[in-house]
Amino acid sequence: MESASVPLPHGGGGHTAEAHHHGPPAANQSSRIDRQTLGIFLFIISEVMLFGSFFASYFFLRVVVNPVSWPPYPFELPVAIAGMNTAILVSSSFTIHYALEAIRKGNRQGMKLGLVLTWILGLTFLFVQINEYVHLGFSGRTESFGTIFYSLTGLHGAHVFIGLILLSAATLRAFRGHFSKEPEKHLGVEVPGIYWHFVDIMWIIVFATVYIL
Amino acid sequence: MNFNEAAVFKWVLIVGAAGASVIGLTLLTRPLVGALWGLVLVIAGCVYGYRWTREWWRNAKDRPDGPGGSA
Repeated sequence: MESASVPLPHGGGGHTAEAHHHGPPAANQSSRIDRQTLGIFLFIISEVMLFGSFFASYFFLRVVVNPVSWPPYPFELPVAIAGMNTAILVSSSFTIHYALEAIRKGNRQGMKLGLVLTWILGLTFLFVQINEYVHLGFSGRTESFGTIFYSLTGLHGAHVFIGLILLSAATLRAFRGHFSKEPEKHLGVEVPGIYWHFVDIMWIIVFATVYIL
Repeated sequence: MNFNEAAVFKWVLIVGAAGASVIGLTLLTRPLVGALWGLVLVIAGCVYGYRWTREWWRNAKDRPDGPGGSA
């Protein structure tokens, strides 16, 4: 069979090539981006729109409704603690980036260290956030401020929680010997890393808007 | 622009710097000044995003494996 060395035509083929090909044909890829990365980017675009609607509500309540005091008297937001929490979350972006840089160079120990540090920093952020909720003194029913405050920070907290689940899976896989330096072999860290950066970027905006402005 | 974690990390740094400028300006002056500066940054980001997208599509159409390409 002299035609056996002829490459498979795209999206199908003659019976000669099929004789050597087992399983379904390879999926057509029209994009330069692998489907996992494209998927997380499309997901993030939808998330930006979700956060955008919450920010629109926030600014509507603050600027258009314009209550007498914001936050309502006598409550105050713990800006210093939230600022420290911001530093913790921003640091976690550096550690996940370190983990990715490590695995790109084939350094698996560095990747594991970066993932574990990121996970610990993310969990610390979430605990500080919950502790803040406990001690704030107002609830989601305390005027429109309470509602939008808990909605916006809670929405972000939920994203941190999801990010921690993704990081847990990546960390477990890393300790079980998965991932290597080839780009397609560490997508399991790359995709949660992109998501984690998104969560970090959103927090910077939430913090500046809710706690500072 | 590459579509990977390193490219997104660069945006963490950019947004971090922008956020720090808004926070700094708010603390030094008044919340309204910080909010207006934040609005300027958001508009600048939208303009950059629009121009980048337009450029990307223009380049994409010239590629053989781009949208409407032969590959």
